[in-house]
Amino acid sequence: MLEIIFRYPDLSLFLALMVIGYTCGTIAEKRHYKSIIKREQELVKLMVVNAEGRFAEGAVRTSFLVNGSTVVSNDYFKRLLAILRNVFGGRVKAYESLIDRARREAILRMKEEARARGAHMIVNLRLETSTIGRSANKKNRIGSIETLAYGTAVVMNRP
Amino acid sequence: MKFTPKHIEGNVNVSKTHPLAELGWLVGGLMLLVLIFYLLLGVSTDIAVAKIPVSAEVWLGEYFIGGMDALESEPLQKLLQPLLDNLPADSPLHEYHFHAQVAENEQINALALPGGHIVVFSGLLEQAESENEVAMVLAHELGHFAHRDHLRRLGRGLGLTVAAIMLFGQDSVASDLASKFFLVSESHYSREQESAADRFGLELLVAGYGHAGGATDFFARVGKDAGSRIPYLLASHPHPDDRVRELQKLIAANGYRVDAVIPLGKDLQEGLPVREDASFEEPVSGAEK
Repeated sequence: MLEIIFRYPDLSLFLALMVIGYTCGTIAEKRHYKSIIKREQELVKLMVVNAEGRFAEGAVRTSFLVNGSTVVSNDYFKRLLAILRNVFGGRVKAYESLIDRARREAILRMKEEARARGAHMIVNLRLETSTIGRSANKKNRIGSIETLAYGTAVVMNRP
Repeated sequence: MKFTPKHIEGNVNVSKTHPLAELGWLVGGLMLLVLIFYLLLGVSTDIAVAKIPVSAEVWLGEYFIGGMDALESEPLQKLLQPLLDNLPADSPLHEYHFHAQVAENEQINALALPGGHIVVFSGLLEQAESENEVAMVLAHELGHFAHRDHLRRLGRGLGLTVAAIMLFGQDSVASDLASKFFLVSESHYSREQESAADRFGLELLVAGYGHAGGATDFFARVGKDAGSRIPYLLASHPHPDDRVRELQKLIAANGYRVDAVIPLGKDLQEGLPVREDASFEEPVSGAEK
């Protein structure tokens, strides 16, 4: 066993990274989704729309910008699946959950900020996604994505 | 419009497929593609190999021998010469300029590299007992050259690596893996290729020495260490004992004489020829003084 590892160090490293990528990636994803769903249920009453808000005069006490951003990293296992997908074409399913997690987490953070500052709703929600990290667009490197959610938090004039 | 807070179950944005299942499908598909490609490559290499000129092969050979650390061996070359002199006049081997070389390696083996390089491992020379035996090994390797097996095997491995590089790019993990995997698994000749080279070698040995003495010695010695025959049922290369039997059958069928063998000369038994430029080549060991 040890002999094989020393004979093919690259191959062993590759397999080790795959296993680490898969196990850690799966555990992290499960935990993250659990937390996302729990927090989404807590914050479900805070309305978020991407429409421009139109309010009757005097209805709004104040409004301010809120934003939330997350960075989620790729792992070697997901990257392998994506590389293989490059051969056959089709949906890169491995990356779907990555983007989905980043998006929902960003919205949650934005909502948390809005709630902390006493907002009743968020209008004009916008989402932006970008790859970041020095190596994000280079070959043979693992990149991360950042998702930024921002919107206008509105505090109503309610008794 | 009334706002009704409601938490949405499920997720349309993420596919339900288990990542390991997806990996299985993708790897399986890739394997299938590689298999089809491999079969096509086998057909096309056979056609191409026959057409590669010796000059192109010599150029390729320089590249390979550079990584081998093999040294020209005068006594081995002397052993090779009578075999070359007895080649049939129409043999394609006349186009080559053969180099008999020795490489320091414990394995009992010899290699045919492109461009007419025959590399004998020092392990073989240490174990060998007769000149005829070593000559048979050289003649066997000449058989691989005559049938251009050395190119055939290289052609496939090389072709597969090139394909992987084309698919995934030069420094991707996948092509790295492909080159490692294919070049290793392609490092044996097939059963038919070995048998054909054995037949060729035997004929050349008899032509050179006038008798078939020592023809089976090498395989008999390897056979002793090879162990059970069961793993060889599916192996690409024949069990040494089977090769001995096949050679003996050929000797009997052709009525070759089996005379006494010539003992191996001292210069060859020592294994590696003395490096003339050793003091320049090994500055590291010189520093220990």
